[in-house]
Amino acid sequence: MKATPFRPYKVLNLELSEGIPELLPDGRYQGIFLVVWWHRIPLGALEILTQNSPLSPAQLTQQILPAITLPVGDRLLEHGFKASLPVTKAQLPQDFPPAYSALISLQNPLQKLSQQLEQIQIPPQSSVSVIICTRDRPEQLQHCLRSLQNLHHQPTEILVVDNAPSSDATKNVVAQFPAVRYLLEPQPGLSIARNTGIQASVGDLIAFTDDDVEVHPDWIFRLQQGFHDPRVMAVTGLMLPAELDSEAQLIFHRGVGGPGWKYRALVFDSEFFEAMKPFGVPAWFVGAGANMAFRREVFNKIGLFDERLGAGASGCSEDSELWYRILAEGWHCRYEPAAVVFHYHRKELEHLQEQSFQYMRGHVTALLIQFAKYHHWGNLRRLFVALPRYYSRLLWNALIKGFKGRNMTLITEIFGCFSGIGFYFSRR
Amino acid sequence: MTYRIVEIEVTEPLPKLVLKSGETGFAFLLRRKGRAIGFLMRSYSEGTILCPDMLSEWIVQDLKTKLLQENIREELLPSVQGHLSFPSLTVAICTKDRPDNVDRCLKALLKLQQPRGDRPPQFQILVVDNAPSNDRTQNLVASLSQVCYVQEPKPGLDFARNRAIQETKTELLAFLDDDVVVDRHWFDGLVEAWQENPDAAAFTGLVLPYELVTDAQILFERRGGFRRGFEKIRYGKTLPGNPLYPCGAGIFGAGCNMAFRRDVLLHLGGFDEALDTGSPLPGGGDLDIFYRVIRAEYSLVYEPQYLVFHEHRREYDKLRRQYWSWGLGFMAFVVKSYHTDPLQRSRLRWLIKWWFKYQYHNLKQSLRGRNPSPPALVWAEIWGGIVGLFGEYGRSQKRVEQIRKQFS
Repeated sequence: MKATPFRPYKVLNLELSEGIPELLPDGRYQGIFLVVWWHRIPLGALEILTQNSPLSPAQLTQQILPAITLPVGDRLLEHGFKASLPVTKAQLPQDFPPAYSALISLQNPLQKLSQQLEQIQIPPQSSVSVIICTRDRPEQLQHCLRSLQNLHHQPTEILVVDNAPSSDATKNVVAQFPAVRYLLEPQPGLSIARNTGIQASVGDLIAFTDDDVEVHPDWIFRLQQGFHDPRVMAVTGLMLPAELDSEAQLIFHRGVGGPGWKYRALVFDSEFFEAMKPFGVPAWFVGAGANMAFRREVFNKIGLFDERLGAGASGCSEDSELWYRILAEGWHCRYEPAAVVFHYHRKELEHLQEQSFQYMRGHVTALLIQFAKYHHWGNLRRLFVALPRYYSRLLWNALIKGFKGRNMTLITEIFGCFSGIGFYFSRR
Repeated sequence: MTYRIVEIEVTEPLPKLVLKSGETGFAFLLRRKGRAIGFLMRSYSEGTILCPDMLSEWIVQDLKTKLLQENIREELLPSVQGHLSFPSLTVAICTKDRPDNVDRCLKALLKLQQPRGDRPPQFQILVVDNAPSNDRTQNLVASLSQVCYVQEPKPGLDFARNRAIQETKTELLAFLDDDVVVDRHWFDGLVEAWQENPDAAAFTGLVLPYELVTDAQILFERRGGFRRGFEKIRYGKTLPGNPLYPCGAGIFGAGCNMAFRRDVLLHLGGFDEALDTGSPLPGGGDLDIFYRVIRAEYSLVYEPQYLVFHEHRREYDKLRRQYWSWGLGFMAFVVKSYHTDPLQRSRLRWLIKWWFKYQYHNLKQSLRGRNPSPPALVWAEIWGGIVGLFGEYGRSQKRVEQIRKQFS
C-alpha cells in the first residue's frame, strides 16, 4: 500500500462578534477544524477541507449557521433545542417544541444569548481550588500553569500534586509561580494523587485539570456558574483540541475526543440513571477528567476517588466511577460547554495504542467495581453482552475493511478488556 | 384530491383556514420576511378548520431550527454583505407548442423585468421556439416588445438550449422551462447567490409546485417533487460524506430552473444534444451539464430564494411516462459519463449499483404501501433505467445525427 504523508488539520478559533473573515486555503493543511465562538462562548465547530476553500465571508456564514443553531436555541429557549441524554434502548420523556411566539419574536438571538448567560449568578459558597496532578512533564505543566494565570476569575488556590516524580524538575517549575502550591505524593497513581490534593485543599468547589491542558480564561467562572442548581454535585466542561498536528491526534479527536453533543448543556439526573440502570449506566458520557469539578461535600458523603482506578492503576475511569456514585445517590452531574479547556492530545500512534489499552482496562475494572458496590446488574450486562457484541461487530468490519482509522486500536482494546477483568480480581 | 397551496408569512399573524369542498389537504409555503424557509403539506378531510394555534404548532414542530437559523443569519448578515454589480443576464425559455404556458411564464417574468427608476431592464428575455408545429408562440412573443424570439428547427430540448447560447451575448444565461412560473423574489435570489458566489459557474434554484389539483401532482410532490431543500449549498470539488459525489448529479438541482456563466457553457461545448431527445420531457441533459461543470472544477450553487413554481403533470399516465424518462435520462447520463470520464468509472459503477438497490428498496416499500409512489411508477423508473443502461445513449446519438443531417 502506498503511504501518503499525513497532512495536519489547523485548529482555528473564530470569534463571531469580531466579524466573519474570508477563509483562505492553506496547502500545508488537510483542512480546518473551525470552532465558532460568540463573546467567548463556544457555539459549534465544523471541518472545512482545504480543497473546498477559499470561502468568502458569506459562504463561511452559510456553513457556520447550521453548526451553531441548536446550541443557540439550547441557551435561549426553554424547550425545543435541548440535547437528548445518551440513552439507548430506554425511553426518557421527549423535549417538546418551543412556543411559536417566543421563536418568532426573538430578535438578535446572539446578543440576547450572551446577556442571558452573564445573568446566571454563581452560588455564594463557591470558592474554588484547582488541582493539577502531574508526573514528569514539567514543560507541559509550565504551559498549563501559565494559562491558569490568565483566568478572569482567579481561584482561591492552585495545587500541583507531583506524583512519584523521578526528578525535582516539576518542583522547580512550580517554584516559578508563587501563587501555586506544591504537594508531593510519592505513591504513584492518579487517584491517589487526586485524593491527596482534595485532602489538602480548602475550596468549596474542587476543579481538576491535567498538565497537558491549557484552560480558557473563563474556565473557572463557567464551572462555578454550573453549580447554581444545589442538586448539581459535579460539573464538567468542553475539551477542545489545542492542535491536530498528527494522525494520532486526529484519530483521538474524532473517536474518543469527547461527547457528541458537545456544544449543548446537559444535566445527568436520576431519571437518566434509572433509565439506563438495566443496561449499565454510561457515566463516562458526563465528561472528561481533564475538565471537571465537584462540590467538596460530595467527597464527605460518598468518598474519594477509588484508588484502584485511574492512570497508574487500572488505567482510567476513576472519574466516571465517581460520577456513577453521584448519580446513584440521586444527585446531578452537569455538562457545561462554556467551561473550556484546550487539550494537547498525544502525538504518537504508539501512545494511542497504549491509551486505548488503558481506557478499556479501566472501563472494565470500573464496571466490576460499580457492580460490586451497588449490585446493579446492568454493569455485568454491559461487560458480558454489550461489549462482546460491540467488538465482534467491529472486528468483523475490520477484517473486511482493514484495521484502519477507528479500528487501528481494535486488538489493543480487546486485550485491554481482558486485562481489566484480571486486574479487578487481583486487586479486589 | 386537491390540496390548497397557501403562502404564510410567519412574521404576520397566522390566518384561520377552512378547507372548501373538494379540497383534501393543505400545502404551505412558509416565508420569513419574504424569504422562503419551508414547505409543508398534509392531507385533511373536507371542511377541516385549521386555526392559528394548530398551524403554529405544526410550524414549530417542523421548522423550529430553520426559524431560529434565519434569525441568527439576520443578526450576522450586516457584517458580510457584498455589493458587487450584477452582470448582464438573459433568461431563455425553451418551449415546444405550449403557447399558454409560455404566456403564463412570461407574465410573471415581465413583472420582475420592470426597470427600477430610470435604469434599463435588469435582464433580457429570449423565447426559443423548438420545432413548432404552428405560429402561435411566435405571434404571442411578437406582441411583447421586451421579449426576443428565435426558432430552433431541430427538435430536442438541448438543441434549443444550445441555440440560446448562440443567440445571446450576456455574461449569464438562465434557463426556464415553459411550465414554470417565477417567484416574486426569483431574480433577487439569483442576484444574492451570485453576489455570495461571484466565482460560481452555475446556479440552480428551488422548485415548488405551481398547483396540487390532481392525484398525480400530489403524488409527485409527496415523493419529494423537485425540492432540494431550503439551505444554500455550494458544490465544489468534493462533498464530505457523499461517496457518490459528484456522479449522483440529481442533487444539484433541476433543469427547469438553472443559470450559467455563458463563457463556461461555451468552454464546455454546451449541452449534450443526445440527451433530452425524442420528447419534450426532461431527461438527463441537466444532470450532464451539472456534472461537467463540477468535473471541470467550477463551483455550482444551489439557492433556495431563486425560486420557481412548476406545474407538474396533471395526468397519471404522463407522470408515469415522466418517471420512465427520468430513469432513462439518468442512466443515459451515467453511461455517457462512463465513456467520457474514465477517472470516475469505479464511482459510476457504484452509482449504478446504488441506484438499482435504491429503486429495489423503493419497489419493495411501495408494494408494502410504505412509499408514496405506487409500484407502477417505481417500476416505470426502473424500466427506464434498464433501457437507459442498455444502449439508449448510443441509439440517441444516432437519432441526433439523423436530425442534424435532416436540417443541415
